[in-house]
Amino acid sequence: MIRSRTLDILLGIAGILILLGLWQLVTSYELISRAFLPGPAATFRSLERGIVEGALLPQTWATIERMLQGWLLASVVAIAIGSLIGVSSTARAYLQPTLEFLRPLPASAIIPVAIAVVGLSWKMVLFVVVFGSVWPTLLATVHGFAHVEPRLVEVSRLLQMSRLAFIFKIGLPNAVPDILAGMRLSLTVALILAVVGELLTGELGLGTAVLHASRQYRADDLYAGIILLGVIGLVSNYGLALADKRILAWKS
Amino acid sequence: MAAASNAIELKGVSLSFGSNQILTGIDMRVEPGEFICVIGASGSGKTTLLRMIAGLLTPTSGQVLLHGKPVRSPTRRVAVVFQDYGRALLPWRRAYANVSLPLEAGGMPAAQRPARIRELLAKVGLANHEDKFPGQLSGGMQQRLQIARALAQEPDTLLMDEPFGALDAMTRQTLQDEVLRLVSERKTTVFFVTHDIEEALYLGDRVVALDSNPGRVAYDIKVPLPRPRDQLTTREHPEFLRLRREMFEIMNKIHA
Repeated sequence: MIRSRTLDILLGIAGILILLGLWQLVTSYELISRAFLPGPAATFRSLERGIVEGALLPQTWATIERMLQGWLLASVVAIAIGSLIGVSSTARAYLQPTLEFLRPLPASAIIPVAIAVVGLSWKMVLFVVVFGSVWPTLLATVHGFAHVEPRLVEVSRLLQMSRLAFIFKIGLPNAVPDILAGMRLSLTVALILAVVGELLTGELGLGTAVLHASRQYRADDLYAGIILLGVIGLVSNYGLALADKRILAWKS
Repeated sequence: MAAASNAIELKGVSLSFGSNQILTGIDMRVEPGEFICVIGASGSGKTTLLRMIAGLLTPTSGQVLLHGKPVRSPTRRVAVVFQDYGRALLPWRRAYANVSLPLEAGGMPAAQRPARIRELLAKVGLANHEDKFPGQLSGGMQQRLQIARALAQEPDTLLMDEPFGALDAMTRQTLQDEVLRLVSERKTTVFFVTHDIEEALYLGDRVVALDSNPGRVAYDIKVPLPRPRDQLTTREHPEFLRLRREMFEIMNKIHA
């Protein structure tokens, strides 16, 4: 069945409205104390205060910046290492076991190490964000290189292309669809770890804002912060989906 | 000096994968500018032979020489056109950029490329399609694009591996004539693999038939048909008909 895009968008909005309705019901009947779960109206008032009056803007930007920095750095590292592994069996032999050891480690387990090495600071947060979000893109890049059409490998040999030329003219373009998918996964991980890092270091950000709101029983501010985090995830994911479409125009 | 005058020379070339003998004792000489067609059933090793001349495969014994020099690895002076254009083109590059690839690989300065690329696209009739991705072109157009890319190398030898095998009859004839025109302009040596006897006779100065299991030269005949060739008059030429009958009988005998 083919549904129109408009209908899909309407259904998506309807889903959000239903969730808001349920939320309103739960709070109207006080199924959960208002001290812990304020109504949508109170939350949106807090959100309005935070954004229009600007109380939450520095925190929001700080979190977005932290997430993007870590994600971009992780992407660059992942694509570079992935390409290296993709074209050199020697590099693969050297790196694969180490990477397979590091990859299953939970990023949270790395935090104490990061604190010990770089201290309880923004550098630690960046380190953890990079460590956690490097994997999806790295694996995607390796996968993309491993699945280059054999005919194109022959074409590169026939044209006597250097390894570097192969990476940039054939390997990477071929891996782009995989890399973009990996980067979308990585971005979510980066947001999560940026917030976790804030909670631990107390650096300015939405994570810290949420924690403070919770400790001071400002439930409406707490939920406003959470909604903002959700919106960051949603917007960044849609943004990347849009970029996907543009970059992968040749696929359609 | 006599050896150096051959564009392609095969001396006792054999190839086996493990105990599987693919080709045995192939001797062949192709003069510069000659159009040679190699026919044989599938499994006769004709594509393998082409890959050895391209430098993609190394013979188990014997020698492959291009202009008197042994082939060790591919060189840009030899261009290959594959049958599966859908896989041989870069799907993420537009037609223009696909033709650009050999120029980039050959180190042509960026400023000189556009004129050369447009000239090549015009030559194969794709002047109005330079902004299309291969996936947006028909099979015949994609194969034209691959031919333009091969010509961008300015090869002195062109290796074509059943290039029209996947195309419909009309497109196939058009492309046959285009290839004849393009290579006669530049006096390019062509090694053309096909399983179609009529195609081989129509295009070639010479036709070599391979016997299978293991692949070896069964027959090597000159095609003394006048050029330029024409889809109607050449194919109705008494000599064409005679050679066609002869080739059919040979192929039947081989595969009996």
